[in-house]
Amino acid sequence: MSVERQFAIADTCFLIDWARYRDRDLLFKIFNAVFVPESVLREIKSEATVSWVASKLAENRLALYTETEDELEEARRLIEMSRRNPRIPSIDLPEAVCLSIGRRRGYIVLTENKGAIMASELLEGYRSVTVWRALEILLAVHLAGEVEVNCNNPIKRFMEYQEDTLHIFPHRDLIEVKHRIERIRCRGE
Amino acid sequence: MKESGAEENRLRKWLEEEEEARRIRREMADWDYINKQPPRIREALKYYIETGDIRRASKLAGLEIEEFREMLRKARIPIIV
Repeated sequence: MSVERQFAIADTCFLIDWARYRDRDLLFKIFNAVFVPESVLREIKSEATVSWVASKLAENRLALYTETEDELEEARRLIEMSRRNPRIPSIDLPEAVCLSIGRRRGYIVLTENKGAIMASELLEGYRSVTVWRALEILLAVHLAGEVEVNCNNPIKRFMEYQEDTLHIFPHRDLIEVKHRIERIRCRGE
Repeated sequence: MKESGAEENRLRKWLEEEEEARRIRREMADWDYINKQPPRIREALKYYIETGDIRRASKLAGLEIEEFREMLRKARIPIIV
């Protein structure tokens, strides 16, 4: 997992969960800036999320991204492509915009939207887009040595994220993450 | 051919994960809370439990996505991604 890419772009599903996490500012340990498209910003309504987003915009850790007409048009085409495949859960403009910008600018797309994750794996032209969930962000933070690791419980922070958000990571992914952290941070392999 | 096989494998993995996620959502959900909700919200919560599709579920509920996410928390329905 590389953290060379310094920019990410976040969609609504990601922000509304991540904003509830006790260590949410860990995000900025691995990204210089996280862009928030205007279409995503319009969907954020709760006081807690708006307050966190506003404070981070003021600190220039989050940055507003104004979509171009070309990016919006590509996003609309992407939505049509996804609707042709009944096995992909629906995606709407905000996450489609993130995938379009991720593809064009090489930003890492941050999302928890299953449709967006599947679209990046299954739709022609989007397989090169890097999509991270909270799981990959937390893993990157651990592997980059940005947090101390308790080798008796290497996935403590992942469990805390689950507690704070009621967002559960797939068991198989959590086991894999645990083994990677043990191997790299605890045994120094 | 190779590409199509890889795609099938990815789809199979997704379907297995979704089946497991659906089971967990059904088990963890607070059904008393869900059944006390107005019909539109109740059916949207059930739709989410079965599909994991938050976009369509929030539209069914007539709620903004963040409001619906909060409704999922109150109903103890986890997001599994």
